[in-house]
Amino acid sequence: MIARSSPAESIRRALLNGKRRPRTPGGSPTSRRGDGYEFVELREYVAGDDVRRIDWAASARTGELQSRVILEDVALTLAAILDDSPSMQVGRRRPLLDAGREALRTWYDAAASDDRCARIVGQEMHPKGSRRGAASAAAAIGASGPFDLPRSLHVARTALRPGAALLAVSDWFDLPGDADGLLHGLGRRCDCTMLLARDPWYDGLPLSGMVRMRGAEGGVLRGFIGAAERARFKAAVREREAALLARFTAAGWRTGLLHEADGAASLAAAFGVAFARAG
Amino acid sequence: MTFAHPLRFAVALAVAAILVILYGAVSRRKSAQDLAYSNLTFFAVSAKPGLWLPRLLQAGWVLGLVALAVALGGPRVMAPVPVRDGAVFICIDTSGSMAAQDVAPTRAAAALAAARAFIDESPRGTRIGLISFSSGASLIQRLTENHARAQASLAAIPPPNGATAIGDALRLAASALPPTGHRLVVLVTDGVNNMGVDPQQVAEWLGTQHIPVYTIGIGTSNGGLIPGSSDEATIDEGALESYAQVSGGAYARAENATELRDALARLGRITALEGKRVDATPSFTIAGVLLLIATFLTGLGIGKL
Repeated sequence: MIARSSPAESIRRALLNGKRRPRTPGGSPTSRRGDGYEFVELREYVAGDDVRRIDWAASARTGELQSRVILEDVALTLAAILDDSPSMQVGRRRPLLDAGREALRTWYDAAASDDRCARIVGQEMHPKGSRRGAASAAAAIGASGPFDLPRSLHVARTALRPGAALLAVSDWFDLPGDADGLLHGLGRRCDCTMLLARDPWYDGLPLSGMVRMRGAEGGVLRGFIGAAERARFKAAVREREAALLARFTAAGWRTGLLHEADGAASLAAAFGVAFARAG
Repeated sequence: MTFAHPLRFAVALAVAAILVILYGAVSRRKSAQDLAYSNLTFFAVSAKPGLWLPRLLQAGWVLGLVALAVALGGPRVMAPVPVRDGAVFICIDTSGSMAAQDVAPTRAAAALAAARAFIDESPRGTRIGLISFSSGASLIQRLTENHARAQASLAAIPPPNGATAIGDALRLAASALPPTGHRLVVLVTDGVNNMGVDPQQVAEWLGTQHIPVYTIGIGTSNGGLIPGSSDEATIDEGALESYAQVSGGAYARAENATELRDALARLGRITALEGKRVDATPSFTIAGVLLLIATFLTGLGIGKL
């Protein structure tokens, strides 16, 4: 098991609570139920538990409703998509990708020994096989390959089993305009969290006059930047950020901002967890 | 355009091209240190940075260098230059029809005002003479570089009276003009030749001597009655056009005092110029240096990050 920090535990708890809570009124936490799942323990029934899990014999013995806890309820599948394309290599003091990797590590830190970790890279999931816990987390962190956001989202929707937790970290410049159906599908099927890399120049461009901008993905732009241009850019960045967050929220995703300074804290904030880095 | 030193021009152009290429290379190397942004398309669409200014500056550098390269080649261009030793005779019609008032206040007064404008517009050094003609032609003012004297001599032009002897006026002008140099005759008339020698023949002869006759017809299209008579003053436009054409000049019609003054003033400027091949080195040098300085200062002023 990977050593867990307090935020990681909080994140895990939040994900488990999400699994126990029906996603749709009257629905079950996960769609796959039945034989083949390992019994773990009995516990008191909590609102939202699947009524099929109520152990009527135990309930009769104790006088309180008892739910059967199976491994599926306490084991998580933590999948992640990390945009490691050149557009994430920019930043004010350090690349956004560094913060993204921190968020990814914190995400996998939330994994317990029975959990599975997976990283979706392009059209593949890593690791392949049935590794669990630390082994799968380490393999997932180390996975690499060419990044393709739309393809990765498609893979997540088709390959992740219902109830899996998905973290996607990107600047989302590659998100197609017609991806809402895909996002909604993922939001219904999985516990999805997105981190939007905050634009390094969200507070304003540090440029004036004749400037040269180098595109992270290629190209150079030479132009004149004045007060009007700076104001337009600032407004557009804020508008884009708000629109993206609203779009994902509408699709049933948990949303958060990836701040360049601290990826772990960014992820924790998305889960409403206070985070203070030791040291 | 021709060059006094074509080889120098070629070398200078090659040097300018090398400088431009080097500038491009340095710019590309510098781009590695430029501010990077995730998505240039988003940046361009959202900030809408002025993309024309860099291109303007680039154009300024290139044009400045090319201008200096051209200057080094000793460029020679055909340009209109003021005629320093030009000689012009203004022949003003003083026949009776010039008293008609269809051109306010009278055709004669309008012609005098226009002649003043012509003299004003003529460059210094141009010699101007004055001839009046009606039943005969009179030399009012010999060719003089003193434009003030020419202006003063306009007062000696007699009031309108008599017939129209255009041919005599042209012949008198031809005899009073110098045998060589930039020479021309300006004929201001409102009528039809009805006395003296055939102006067509004189105009043809002037054409052979490279003395163009610029003719200006005064009068409205409705014409006007000659005061004190029932005769109508008309213009033989065809004849005036012909005099101009055969001599290498041009014809213009003026229906009011303003048009007449403008036509003569324009003539004063045009006829006082001649096309000459001139050394354009100073112009190209100044233009090139100014362009480079302006481009440098503009880039310096707005170029800091």
